[in-house]
Amino acid sequence: MIRRLEPQSGEVIDRETPLKFTWNSKKYVGYAGDTIASALLANNQQVFSRSMKYHRPRGVLTADYWDPNTTVQVGTEPNVRGAHRLLEADMKVSAQNAWPSLDLDVKAANGLFGRFLTAGFYYKTFIKPQRLWPLYEKVLARFAPGGVVDLNTPHGYHDKRYAHPDVVVAGGGPAGLAAAISAAKAGMSVMLVEQNHHLGGHLRWGTDQDRETADDLEAAARDAGVEILTDSAVTGRYDDNWIAISQRDHPGVVERLIKARAKTLVVAAGLVERPYVFSGNDLPGVMLSGAVRRLINMYAVRPGNHAVVLTANAEGDAAVADLERVGVEVARVVDARAGETISKATGSSKQLGSVTLADGSTVKADLLVTAAGWTAPTSLLNMSGDRPSYDPAAARFFPTALPDNVIATGGLVGDGSLDELIAHGISSGELAAQRAAAVKHRLRSTVTRAQNPKGPEPPVQQDRRIGLSRAPHPELYRSDTHGMVDFSEDVSSKDLVNAAAEGFDSVELVKRFTTATMGPSQGKLETVNTVAVLAEARGETIEEVGTTVWRPPYAPISLGALAGRVFEPVRVSSLHEWHTANNMTPILAGQWIRPEHYGDPGAEVANVRTNVGIIDVTPLGKLDLRGPDVPKLLNLLYTNKWSKLPIGRVRYGMMCAEDGVVLDDGVTGRLGEDHYLMTTTSSGAGQIWQWVEMWLQTEHPDWEVHVTPVTTGFTSINIAGPKSRELLMRLVDDVDLSAEAFEYMNVRTGTIAGVPDCFMWRIGFTGELSFEVHVPAGFGLHVWEQLIERGADLGVGPFGLEAQRIMRLEKGHFIVGQDTDGLTKAPTTGLRALIKLDKDDFAGKPELEWALGPEAPELPVLVAITPTDPRLVPDEACQILREGTTEIVGRITSSRFSPSLQRSICLGQVTPEFAAAGTMLTVRLCDGSDTTARVMEHHAHFDPEGVRLRG
Amino acid sequence: MTKQVIELSEKSAKLSPVFRRNQAPRYSAAALLWRGVRNDSWPRVWREPQLKKSYDAVVVGGGVHGLATAYYLAANHGITDVAVLDKAYLGSGGSGRNTAIVRSNYLTPEGVAFYDRSLDLYNTMSADLNLNVMFSERGHLTLAHTDSAVRTMRWRAEVNKLQGIDSTVIGPDEISKIAPSLDTSPNTRYPILAALYHPPGGTIRHDAVVWAYARAADAYGVDMHQKTEVQDIVCEGGDGPDGKGPGAKVTGVRTSKGDVSAPVVINCTAGWASLIAAMAGIQLPITTHPLQAAVTEPVKVFLPTVVVSGSLHVYVSQTDRGELVFGASVDPFATYDMRGTLDFTEELAGHVLELMPAVSQMRLQRQWAGLCDITPDYSPVMGFTPVEGFLCDVGWGTYGFKAGPVSGEQMAKCVADGATPDLISPFALSRFNDGVLVGEKGAAAVGH
Repeated sequence: MIRRLEPQSGEVIDRETPLKFTWNSKKYVGYAGDTIASALLANNQQVFSRSMKYHRPRGVLTADYWDPNTTVQVGTEPNVRGAHRLLEADMKVSAQNAWPSLDLDVKAANGLFGRFLTAGFYYKTFIKPQRLWPLYEKVLARFAPGGVVDLNTPHGYHDKRYAHPDVVVAGGGPAGLAAAISAAKAGMSVMLVEQNHHLGGHLRWGTDQDRETADDLEAAARDAGVEILTDSAVTGRYDDNWIAISQRDHPGVVERLIKARAKTLVVAAGLVERPYVFSGNDLPGVMLSGAVRRLINMYAVRPGNHAVVLTANAEGDAAVADLERVGVEVARVVDARAGETISKATGSSKQLGSVTLADGSTVKADLLVTAAGWTAPTSLLNMSGDRPSYDPAAARFFPTALPDNVIATGGLVGDGSLDELIAHGISSGELAAQRAAAVKHRLRSTVTRAQNPKGPEPPVQQDRRIGLSRAPHPELYRSDTHGMVDFSEDVSSKDLVNAAAEGFDSVELVKRFTTATMGPSQGKLETVNTVAVLAEARGETIEEVGTTVWRPPYAPISLGALAGRVFEPVRVSSLHEWHTANNMTPILAGQWIRPEHYGDPGAEVANVRTNVGIIDVTPLGKLDLRGPDVPKLLNLLYTNKWSKLPIGRVRYGMMCAEDGVVLDDGVTGRLGEDHYLMTTTSSGAGQIWQWVEMWLQTEHPDWEVHVTPVTTGFTSINIAGPKSRELLMRLVDDVDLSAEAFEYMNVRTGTIAGVPDCFMWRIGFTGELSFEVHVPAGFGLHVWEQLIERGADLGVGPFGLEAQRIMRLEKGHFIVGQDTDGLTKAPTTGLRALIKLDKDDFAGKPELEWALGPEAPELPVLVAITPTDPRLVPDEACQILREGTTEIVGRITSSRFSPSLQRSICLGQVTPEFAAAGTMLTVRLCDGSDTTARVMEHHAHFDPEGVRLRG
Repeated sequence: MTKQVIELSEKSAKLSPVFRRNQAPRYSAAALLWRGVRNDSWPRVWREPQLKKSYDAVVVGGGVHGLATAYYLAANHGITDVAVLDKAYLGSGGSGRNTAIVRSNYLTPEGVAFYDRSLDLYNTMSADLNLNVMFSERGHLTLAHTDSAVRTMRWRAEVNKLQGIDSTVIGPDEISKIAPSLDTSPNTRYPILAALYHPPGGTIRHDAVVWAYARAADAYGVDMHQKTEVQDIVCEGGDGPDGKGPGAKVTGVRTSKGDVSAPVVINCTAGWASLIAAMAGIQLPITTHPLQAAVTEPVKVFLPTVVVSGSLHVYVSQTDRGELVFGASVDPFATYDMRGTLDFTEELAGHVLELMPAVSQMRLQRQWAGLCDITPDYSPVMGFTPVEGFLCDVGWGTYGFKAGPVSGEQMAKCVADGATPDLISPFALSRFNDGVLVGEKGAAAVGH
């Protein structure tokens, strides 16, 4: 570690704990507390990356999170911020954008052609011959910057946390700490979020006294009960102070997302030092003053040996003092406040060699430090609706108008002595606390049953803070030469000037054309320089040019942290374990895992048609409806009439959206005077609940209807087959199940296998005599097992979804969403009789009136279809063509081989011209061949009269 | 309403396209080299003209639809006295905010024919307009996680095949070969059962498309006016207030930079379309919803194709710069606001990791939103309206960018011929009165 300085006060490294690591497979040693970049620099490694386009060697520039040049690959993790990530034992660090190696990068030849590779050059070439573009594209793609994704990287576990702090403070510098302390002392719960590993901001690389102040503030914050997060960032501020925080200091978790609903947000993000634009400003050895001060004072690393310093402010002066203190020869101090400047930097391919001053003289140096001014990272303020404005006297942007629940302090709003910054922080924290208290008061008063606070809501506290002054600062953006503006995108000021001359002369267009500000730091270093160069090119002011919009996230956040744990629950019925133990082949149906079959769906069908089968239909949507106005609701939502449904009866209904398109269907039964149970399709359960609530809450809040979704409250079992009555009778004593006493489309409440309060209704999707029973879910398995046990001699067996689908197709029942689509209007489903236009308004009525009137267009009709070849089952979605053409006149929507009929059967949609019974259709199969099929008279292929059903 | 004729002014007629065309310097490798050697800069891509008092046609909206319309008016029909007005900068709306995916594997024959023409135009655009729009024909996978989704994919494939579109249903093994980063194991929460594979689909540099049309239109003499906001549309003879509404005739527009008279005004304003149409007294069956998108930091290219999952509401592609670009379905609420939400990024990341667990360490770099003008049947509204001279090319929902070239071509033809071209006749505004909708929800709702 030849660049490591002697031990000094304030250093953050632990010399007792050396850490071994590798850099491009070579072994090095650093100390605990080092960042990857400081450890490498201590080992005299100066080149960390190659630039994106020209593959120029790059070294440390800012030595903090935003350093564009020190992004590295760590193991499988790409794009690690090397100047921010702490060194760990046995880290495997490698350079990202170099081939074959960092030292010898063949793509650096691009640099020689720089004048031809101006910004946007690719728009102007590779145009002809067009067939070669894919090849060019492959080559260009090789220049993609960034690290490598290891395709074996696991998903990882990432917890999330919801937090409800009164005040969130973004930034743990002196102003932020002071604000956090005063807000906490005012009784608020406070969360302080600091991006760096240490609190205190710039005090950490300041004097001993500065550090002492930082330590005191930190101790006071802990004493006041402030929750402190370091190595964490407020990544976004969304509506109503919904704050996203990426936390990286939580034990055992790489990164976690904290979602905080803060009553007030204090933004104390400080200032980001701005690079100066001149020729050679990206040579290794050119650093910002903040980088030099961090390296020396925190990491005890000597940044160079012979330095030139361009200073326009006190930070630059302090850098000179730091350099001299640790024995770096400061060859020249160029004072921008006195009108001095530098012109350009030159050197070998990997190291700065000399600096040319404005007067043309040259100074040999391996370190050039610039202190050219500050950029206010106003990102979080923009997300709060602010449009910062530019102050030329202070040479930076300042906030203009913030919402009441967002308060800015510290360097973002002005300058001053440390005492003044702390005082401003304190008054900002007090203001934040007062405003948070008002919000708290309001929340507690509006929430029912909460303890009501005493007294009226305090008014929003006016901002009476004593403002910070703005220190004058020279406007220092570009010297008389051109240099890099966007380091990560390799965009120079010359590129920007050229782009403006070509007409890409607004800040948005120049960004899109040159890609300036589009890289990983999202403009924190580049935006203001981009705007300044553009303003110069257009002869306008920086204020007139304006900036691009800052959008979330403030700092990048990993997809793993955003995703959190996989929380996509699947649903299973209370019978799931039985199915699993009994040879179920599962199928994913929406959120549900269901038995598709138990080995042989054909045999299951045969068993239902001859004996009796039972199927778990728990996913069927079930809504418990109570109240005197339920009939009104049913009349509104279904197309048919419900006013006169007697107790003990069930009825089938079809629902339409306002556009007359079929939305859902199902059976609803009347269980008591004011008590109904509505069933919906399994896939529509959630949507129909919303639909019902939407009508009740927005259109008819006066109706007395109470809706409870009870889908999983009951285990639903359909018992189907000629012997179903016999089976159920063995389990039920208190209900007369005889054909005379319990007719088709009736419902009874009774006890099944000792379980009271079960609903039984006689309906059937399968076309057989069948009973659908809804059993309180806790007893579902008991009833199911009893059915299996007590029906053994009847041949009872379970059947799955596939058998049910076959049987419903044999009966010609359509499935909403499969046999209908987003344009299928109710009249074309074959259920015209269910549309009662003579009743009062119902959802879809105006559209259906028109669709059934004389002006109605000819829309496809649902018909049953039988292929001419009885063994041939056309795939669902096969198209039906006009014979001899490729004109589409319909499609097969459902198809199966029917075990009952021993032939293939289909449902399909065809245009009315082809809908008449007996019409021969041409079906284009998926393999491209054609076959013929015939339109049937009834939708039901099997037992069209429904004799078995009503038996 | 299906036939309207515009009177061409002398101005359009006397400007020979060839004359203007020669003013624009050609882009080529040789020219790039030559200017590089001589250190010459390039001239402006388009002029900064003064707003004139009158034009033959005014296009409202400087996105790909508006610019393409203006370009084809000039290039195909010799109508060059055209102004394109945009309240911000060219491509500032959906054209610059979309995820730049193009394809033609739609669900309805009408949709397929239309988008296939667009794909043709995109294919030759670089050469036709002399600007490399970086069309990357990398293929397009629409994943199916459920039986019903497989059925819809097959439906689309069958319709596509009948129209001569390269589109097939493939299984997990083949999917895995095309995109090894996808988790095709059967044990995921949303197992990948199959995919609709559409090799001609791909991505394109969306901004470059905007610039290519703007530059080419400018070369024909079309005036581009940025930061020029249309504040009203002037009509006469209509039933509504101020002579607007059905039966009216358009006479011009009122802008933030002055009044312009024009016999033809074409509304190409996407998310703001219903507001502009209302200025002419026309109510459009459109609601505007935000659509959010996001981009990661760059990594070396590993995803060679476009991947879409309707069930998971996500589509993803990797740019040549190495960033993953993500989009989703529209937000469920109607608003003109373009701020992003945190929930979107969380759900997005969850679903992306469901498809590609390996990217969990990649970081999201930026999120944004655009506005989508959505019709009840997820198909656009194109052509004439009940106000004479006021045409619409709107209702583009989440699929407008793909359709830019063909829309411009057909809208220009519509204006020049005074008759609705066959290719866009299914998309007439009148279909909402006639009840003949073009249902693209299945292929367009999350169908990028």
